[in-house]
Amino acid sequence: MSKSKENVVDLGKYIDQRVRVKFQGGREVDGILKGFDKLDNVVLDDCVEYIRDPNDLYRVTDRTRTLGLVVCRGTQVSFLAPADGMEEIANPFTDEAVAEEEENIRVES
Amino acid sequence: MAGRLQPLELVDKCIGSRIWIVMKSEKELVGTLRGFDEYVNMVLDDVTEIEFVGGVRRETQMDQILLNGAHVCILVPGGDPTAVGP
Repeated sequence: MSKSKENVVDLGKYIDQRVRVKFQGGREVDGILKGFDKLDNVVLDDCVEYIRDPNDLYRVTDRTRTLGLVVCRGTQVSFLAPADGMEEIANPFTDEAVAEEEENIRVES
Repeated sequence: MAGRLQPLELVDKCIGSRIWIVMKSEKELVGTLRGFDEYVNMVLDDVTEIEFVGGVRRETQMDQILLNGAHVCILVPGGDPTAVGP
């Protein structure tokens, strides 16, 4: 039986690295991980928030605002990853993309 | 197991100073932090509540509040949202 008090992921390996944090409700920030606790509350330095499209609060623009040294609440965090580990791709869930993927699988098998 | 700077330690250091709270929704508060609990419910003095409703920024002043921590997203110790544009 696994210990329930242990975290699945050790955030220690991201300390002093720039990470991207996404929140429930659509907010996104970027900052240098300086600390954390077992409830996934997080301290970020040089933090910036990505401003969202006013018409679609789940879509982020390139505009940012500077926040500085912040604490992010673990209860609201939905996602945390190294900032340089992300790139935008074309939507893989459109009907055309799904059909193409199924065709590729059929060809391979 | 926790990393160098504990988040709740940083919040504790902020007691007595100004803090800027960003909620999950389009609402922010700036006030003097008097205290908080393990759920990060907070007591704040001299509060300015800032709401962004339909592109319009609206501010409300309040003397002392108990802020429910359930939807608190980001805490910025000593932060000043008037210096930063939305």
